[in-house]
Amino acid sequence: MDRDTRDMLLETASRFFAERAGKDVVNGVEKGLWPGDLWKEIEEMGLPLIAVPEEQEGVGGTLADLMALLRVAGEHAVPVPVAETALANLLVSAAGGKPATGPSTVALGELSLQGGRVSGKVARVPFAGVAERFVSVVTAGGKSTLVVVPRDAVKIEDAPSHAGEPYGTVTFDGATPEYSAPSPVSADRALELAALARAMQMAGAADKVLVTATEYCKQRVQFGRPISTFQAIQHMLAELASYVAATIASAEAASRDADEGGLENGGSFSIAAAKTQCSDFAHRIAAISHQSMGAMGFTHEHILHHYTRRLWVWRRDFGSESFWGEQIGQSFAKAGKDELWPALTESRYAA
Amino acid sequence: MSIPKLEFPPFHLPAEAEALRGEVRAFLKETLPKIKSEDRFASWNTASPEFSKALGARGWLGVTWPKKYGGGERSFLDRFVVTEELLGNSAPAGSHWVADRQSGPLLLKFGTEEQRQAILPRITRGECYFSIGMSEPDSGSDLASVRTRAEPVPGGFRVNGTKVWTSGAHRNHYCITLVRTSGQHGDRHKGLSQLLVDLKTPGVTIRPIINLAGRHDWNEVTFSDAFIPEDCLIGNEGDGWLQVTSELAFERSGPERFMQNFYVLRELVRVLGRQPAKRASAILGRLIARLWTLRQMSTAVAGMMQGGKSPAIEASLVKDLGTIYQQDLPEIARTLAESDATTEDDLADFLDIAQYASMMAPSYTIQGGTTQVLRGIVARGLGLR
Repeated sequence: MDRDTRDMLLETASRFFAERAGKDVVNGVEKGLWPGDLWKEIEEMGLPLIAVPEEQEGVGGTLADLMALLRVAGEHAVPVPVAETALANLLVSAAGGKPATGPSTVALGELSLQGGRVSGKVARVPFAGVAERFVSVVTAGGKSTLVVVPRDAVKIEDAPSHAGEPYGTVTFDGATPEYSAPSPVSADRALELAALARAMQMAGAADKVLVTATEYCKQRVQFGRPISTFQAIQHMLAELASYVAATIASAEAASRDADEGGLENGGSFSIAAAKTQCSDFAHRIAAISHQSMGAMGFTHEHILHHYTRRLWVWRRDFGSESFWGEQIGQSFAKAGKDELWPALTESRYAA
Repeated sequence: MSIPKLEFPPFHLPAEAEALRGEVRAFLKETLPKIKSEDRFASWNTASPEFSKALGARGWLGVTWPKKYGGGERSFLDRFVVTEELLGNSAPAGSHWVADRQSGPLLLKFGTEEQRQAILPRITRGECYFSIGMSEPDSGSDLASVRTRAEPVPGGFRVNGTKVWTSGAHRNHYCITLVRTSGQHGDRHKGLSQLLVDLKTPGVTIRPIINLAGRHDWNEVTFSDAFIPEDCLIGNEGDGWLQVTSELAFERSGPERFMQNFYVLRELVRVLGRQPAKRASAILGRLIARLWTLRQMSTAVAGMMQGGKSPAIEASLVKDLGTIYQQDLPEIARTLAESDATTEDDLADFLDIAQYASMMAPSYTIQGGTTQVLRGIVARGLGLR
């Protein structure tokens, strides 16, 4: 979509999330309350179909449009699977399928396909507790196959994330997919796209953390003055801003590269580097923001934890800094020192 | 007041700049092996007149300046690429560095026509080198407190005072010097001016200040009744503060703020071998991701500047993060090499490199504006002061 259309959509989404996915809704999800109305409205706005082509009854946006939306969703800690469903729908439509309604998620892990049936176990599947179907890409016989497995065909063990979202372990024991088709997106690529989605959500959350901590310090009075007037606090917040800036810049660059390079392999290295960077700085962002807000920010009452806890969870989702760092490190070591600079300037793996 | 949103819009360097990159890379590949360098790993503080002249001969000094002064009239982004390639290939760019990066642009902006004609073509040929005369024994981060005095006398100024940390003054030709031309010491920003000082001027004495690594980069430059002709005043008398702050803002976010010790990362890749263990790969990958991110931030700021914006907060953030990365790098690399270098010889060699890099590391977060000064700028941008 063009720039103006996207900006308008993002603004609408941001206002909508602020009104309808506030503190109580986020806390409710943690208690196991599924905000069905919120989800319905999100579907009515077409958000889970943002990157599905118009001829497949989607909104017809690009991958970059989807990622920009996810940054906004991260900025509001939206506690429903917008990212997971939109990604699932994108994968399904790329494999010629028709996206379904209702919350979906992606189950990315070691799965096998035999005689059209899916087997294997995937841990930490986001929103496994509420998803109506599980979308994955399975590699078999050198081919990538997209599978959509309905909820009643799998076994789900609830294991809520540390942010209180309904994650779980999903076991496929010869499950029959409701749809399967050759996938232009490989299993590795599906993981990259999911990692990119998390990087953008982290960028949104990081931004919100900076604003929250800064506003708090401007209002909080101690020793007779707002604590933001103390140089120690000013320097802490400036340092926080630097980590937030790195998070935003890396995620945005990866999103651009993924979009420009195409769904099947664009921005592979950039995504790995961005997810590494975002995950790497999550700790510092959480540490400084909490320090600046003292006991208040450590309460369940305050909203800061909606963001810091998600940063701690999201840094592990779809590959942590250890996982993606290893991919990068292996590649650059294999290529040797003379490839380091050329590969960096081209934002590509060295080998 | 609401908090300004931090934005780093991803920016592609244009095709023209990327084409230039190829030319610069090829030139460096051919030229660097022939250049004798005082440092095993050269950078922007390694002087080599030979290299600077070779670079100037290719037209890659004063890249953005008007042709009538010997410049290339190319874009700021072309210059960005030349700078990156010098750093990425460890070129000894120290002779021309300050002249090309900030003194020349300052003369272009504020200098007289005579000054420009006399100096700029020599800079672009790689023959004329500059030092920065800002800091004094009692004026570091608080630059407005400078005491060096230039007393107006017939035909010019009589200058008395002392400048310190004056890099390269012992081998450079000129020093743009911040002086007080009127008013009193406590007047702060008022009454300051900048003078173009020929370092051979009688009454100017240059003494070495050796740094902790035993290197002679810095000098103390003393002015004792040194006569500086009036045509060496840069810009207007009394505008020194305005001019000097614009000089400080030149590319705070440039790649030199995160690539000064790039050789550490390159040598780390070498000593870890082609198939490091999982943990070593992950740590290496995290370092590479951090550098890649800094580069994305730096190009984003360059793009915003090209678009006519002045992203002061974003630029300060790049320098803050970049200089701290450069400080972390030798430490992370050393411990990683200790556990994972492939051979004892490689390890011994690398520990030497890392030791030197560690010794140089404190300078990164001091030079050109300390971390604390930068954070003050960012805090102001966040509306905190």
